[in-house]
Amino acid sequence: MAKKLTVIPEQCSGCSICELVCAIKHFGVNNPKKAAIRVLTTYPHPVMRMPIVCSQCKVAACAQVCPVDALRWIDGVVQLDKGNCISCYKCVEACPFGAMYAHADCDLPIKCDMCGGDPECVKKCPKGALRLIPEAALGESRRLNNVLSYTQMKEIEFYEKGERKVIHYAEIGKEEL
Amino acid sequence: MRIKSGYFKKQLHVDLTKGSAERRELSDAFVGKYIGGRGFGAKLVWDNLKKHDFKIDPLGPENLLVVAPGPLTGVYLPASGKNSFVAISPATGLYGDSSMGGDFGVELRQTGIDVLSITGRAPELCVVFIDSSETTILPTPELKGKSCLEAEGMIKERLGTHAVHVATIGVAGENMVKFACVNADWSRNAGRTGIGAIMGSKNLKAIVVRGDKDLPVYDVMGLMAEADKAYKYLEEHKYFKLWQQEGLMNVIEYANRTGILPAYNFKDSVFPKYDQINGATMLDGYKIGDSACFSCPMCCSNICLVKHGKYTGTVVEGPEYETCAMLGSNLGIDNFAAILSATRLCDELGLDTISTGNIVGAVIEGYEKGILSLSDLDGSEVTWGDEDAILELIQRIADRQGIGDILADGSRRIIEKWPEMDKVILQVKGLEQSAYDCRPSISMALAYATSDIGAHHTRAWTIAKEMEEGPNWSDDEKVDTVIYHQKLRPLFDMLGVCRLPWIELGLNERHYANFYKYVTGKEASLEELLELSNNIYDLTRLMNTRLGVSRKDDSLPYKVWANPPLTGPNVGRVVDQEDFQKLLSLYYQKRGWDEDGIPPAGLEEKFAD
Repeated sequence: MAKKLTVIPEQCSGCSICELVCAIKHFGVNNPKKAAIRVLTTYPHPVMRMPIVCSQCKVAACAQVCPVDALRWIDGVVQLDKGNCISCYKCVEACPFGAMYAHADCDLPIKCDMCGGDPECVKKCPKGALRLIPEAALGESRRLNNVLSYTQMKEIEFYEKGERKVIHYAEIGKEEL
Repeated sequence: MRIKSGYFKKQLHVDLTKGSAERRELSDAFVGKYIGGRGFGAKLVWDNLKKHDFKIDPLGPENLLVVAPGPLTGVYLPASGKNSFVAISPATGLYGDSSMGGDFGVELRQTGIDVLSITGRAPELCVVFIDSSETTILPTPELKGKSCLEAEGMIKERLGTHAVHVATIGVAGENMVKFACVNADWSRNAGRTGIGAIMGSKNLKAIVVRGDKDLPVYDVMGLMAEADKAYKYLEEHKYFKLWQQEGLMNVIEYANRTGILPAYNFKDSVFPKYDQINGATMLDGYKIGDSACFSCPMCCSNICLVKHGKYTGTVVEGPEYETCAMLGSNLGIDNFAAILSATRLCDELGLDTISTGNIVGAVIEGYEKGILSLSDLDGSEVTWGDEDAILELIQRIADRQGIGDILADGSRRIIEKWPEMDKVILQVKGLEQSAYDCRPSISMALAYATSDIGAHHTRAWTIAKEMEEGPNWSDDEKVDTVIYHQKLRPLFDMLGVCRLPWIELGLNERHYANFYKYVTGKEASLEELLELSNNIYDLTRLMNTRLGVSRKDDSLPYKVWANPPLTGPNVGRVVDQEDFQKLLSLYYQKRGWDEDGIPPAGLEEKFAD
């Protein structure tokens, strides 16, 4: 089953470990500026730490603008054909998320390749802000949170050995996802 | 064995008077001997002192400001985001340094330099912009009077990019408040020893960096394997989650329980309403996110938002323990939202929260005791827990209005103006004491007295160990631990990494010798590195003694001898003058300094190259 790399920005602390391990894995150098994932930080309004990485779009804006057809969606990953790429960087400019990158030392655009299905950044994120989940489960936590925002039943109350206990729906499923 | 990697071997020297910037070569011998960070800083500041015949006005153009990350800054290992600011301190007139976490130091290194030195004074307010290929000095009169946050935003707008890191000063720095700090990435601060005032004196509003170079690492894969072991150790630690959640805020609970929490200007060492300003309170009603320094899994920094009441909408990164204690319990404030507001104010103005809390506390007590009159306070009363008056006073310090003009010059000037304040204010060598009450811990008292920058806990923090060991701890062990800390903790500042994984979660310090090996390609044992760090301690001592320091200055605030805490587990405890002098003599002896605390003649030659 195809898995998607998904970002939970609320969990991100902005430590940049994802950037470092990505660059080390793909280029063998200690340089976060060569990573295919970057954390964007804003403060104080809004406060945000947002890891930005390729979504592997099935109808990919990068692929659509590529004049030499060097970007193709294959097996859940938009793959860059390094032999055909002419480094025009149209893809970097076209990505609606800004999730492709360029660096002066590199001849080609820098793009997430999902590390062959086992992304290094997901493994090393100390906050669980980057996850690999089945495509069908995408949006699950948002759905739950969204429902909770208008439902009456935000919590369930019960008594155990005479003691009142409350389970919050928002807490359920947090562990799994 | 020689250094094979780990350095660009470049120093960027900026002369603001001349408007020039040049990249200079650093020799193998230099980087090998001084390592980086505070080591580079101490050596360059020492050379500058000699050049000026030991006559340097800290706020004069001749004072050299050194900004130095270390060889491990920005590389893959836990918490490698540290960077030191070093100069002759305007607060003490002696050697001063302060380190900063975050990303600024990493970006600075990525411009391809190991150390930045700044001298002179610009004709008008300016910003130094460094990128991988060039350095520009931009006149920025429009930034005058802007807060740190505003200035950072305006600089990014002017440069047309958010992908830069900005270390800036606020109004306090511009007005040369002697405890002004440097603020980077909105809320990271090099807080202590008044580095912000030095930037202000140079008409330097900000240092802006944008780099993209590979950081030199000898063996990346070896480093990664070693670092992964360290990350794994930390992530499996039983307190790891607590650190991620509360960060340093968990120390409030501990400090109150053991009776070392400053309350009411150190009149007491427990705070009755500590549970309204602790980590649990923060988690319950204020925290909205985590923030981490570069490559750190512990993310000890918290982002808080005030959701109700008169401070609604205040966003702040922090507070951490020192800030929360000094601006909270030390001033009798039990409203967490007010502490957040004061922290944000200090971030905006560019004020060190430790010194600010200390001085405001002393003012309140001075007024209570009648040392300061209402007219000294310009007619506006300040009392314990009076949030509005305290916030107002902090603003007046930064603006140098009324009494703020005297307070802005720090504890030395305050004591000069009102000699009785000496009994109220807590400082050593002119630097206000940090938020650990040393009265129940004589080794911590020794640490404050012998710290090279004044009463700060960064050099040695032995208080927890002494509270554990109790009276069974011999004098020898106390002095040995203080000296060991004074070797190891500055070593972290030289390497450019954070000490918290070691001190808080017990990460074995031997990892760092391995990190050093993988980064530089030079095999060195921890002991050898500690020796190099110890040399720097000798060097800063040498500097300080040449500037007039001797045994008489290695002393403690009046309260530590005379006024015991009023309640709590350490009620009635003070440091005994005689015991302390005995301990100090033993310390000098073990350091190889004479009875007056002067290092041996001939030591200077060691740093002549």
